[in-house]
Amino acid sequence: MTAAVAVAEKQNRYPPGDLVIWIFILAELLVFAAFFSAYAFTRMNNVELFNEFQQNLDRQAALINTFALITSSYFVVRAVSAIREGNSQHCVRWLLAALVMGVVFLLVKGGEYSHHFGEGINLSTNTFYMFYISLTFFHFMHVIMGMVILAAVAVKAQKGGYSAEEHTGVETGASYWHMVDLLWLILFPLVYVMR
Amino acid sequence: MSRQKKYGIRPCTWVYLFLMFFSFVTFLIGQAGLSGLEVALAVLFLAMIKGQLVGHYFMGLGSVRGIWHWPVFIWLFIPGILIGTAFYLSYSTG
Repeated sequence: MTAAVAVAEKQNRYPPGDLVIWIFILAELLVFAAFFSAYAFTRMNNVELFNEFQQNLDRQAALINTFALITSSYFVVRAVSAIREGNSQHCVRWLLAALVMGVVFLLVKGGEYSHHFGEGINLSTNTFYMFYISLTFFHFMHVIMGMVILAAVAVKAQKGGYSAEEHTGVETGASYWHMVDLLWLILFPLVYVMR
Repeated sequence: MSRQKKYGIRPCTWVYLFLMFFSFVTFLIGQAGLSGLEVALAVLFLAMIKGQLVGHYFMGLGSVRGIWHWPVFIWLFIPGILIGTAFYLSYSTG
């Protein structure tokens, strides 16, 4: 078997990036799945409460955040594509653009929290807000973690640390960031729209 | 069609536009105050489709063979069924 065939075979059998990040991603997805299910089953016994307080959420801010994360995820796809072609500079630019979108998410979400906390709303206000704050804040922390990873990847790419042949680090960071996007794509309709 | 073309930038760009458009549709459903079991399940189904597209194209699982092809699909399916069941029960018992 030639080296090229062996590499292609490996690419066909394993997801992009380090396999360890995928174990981590699966663990994270399971935790969020439990959270989402707990939200839905708790809502089952508190339908009126959930429907009433869901109306107080800023759905436009959530839409902006959805656009920001989807766009950011697409920029990361472009960054991976660039490094696969051996173009480090383009890779860095796309990663920085993705980070800007991450900052937009944090600012908009921070504004939402500021509004709610300013109204005296906290985890113990009621069951809906307990779920809303804990679910979205848990995700918020994952966005920050993802941005730290993307920033570290961008710094290494800027220094020429990746190439067309070896770019596992970029794919690893990208996989984590796509997970953050994936989680929000379920969180947004579940918490802000479904009633 | 080569793997490069099938999972390259162009299909990812279409997926990106799809995700943006249907996220806006989801938002409009919320803004219109639409409710009911059918609406909730449709929004949930749309979210699962969007999630699967992220896994398949953005995360690159579409080009992976074997067990690693499925984790996002399975992840979407299990909470999707549970959330759908919870909403169904909330309407059928309410």
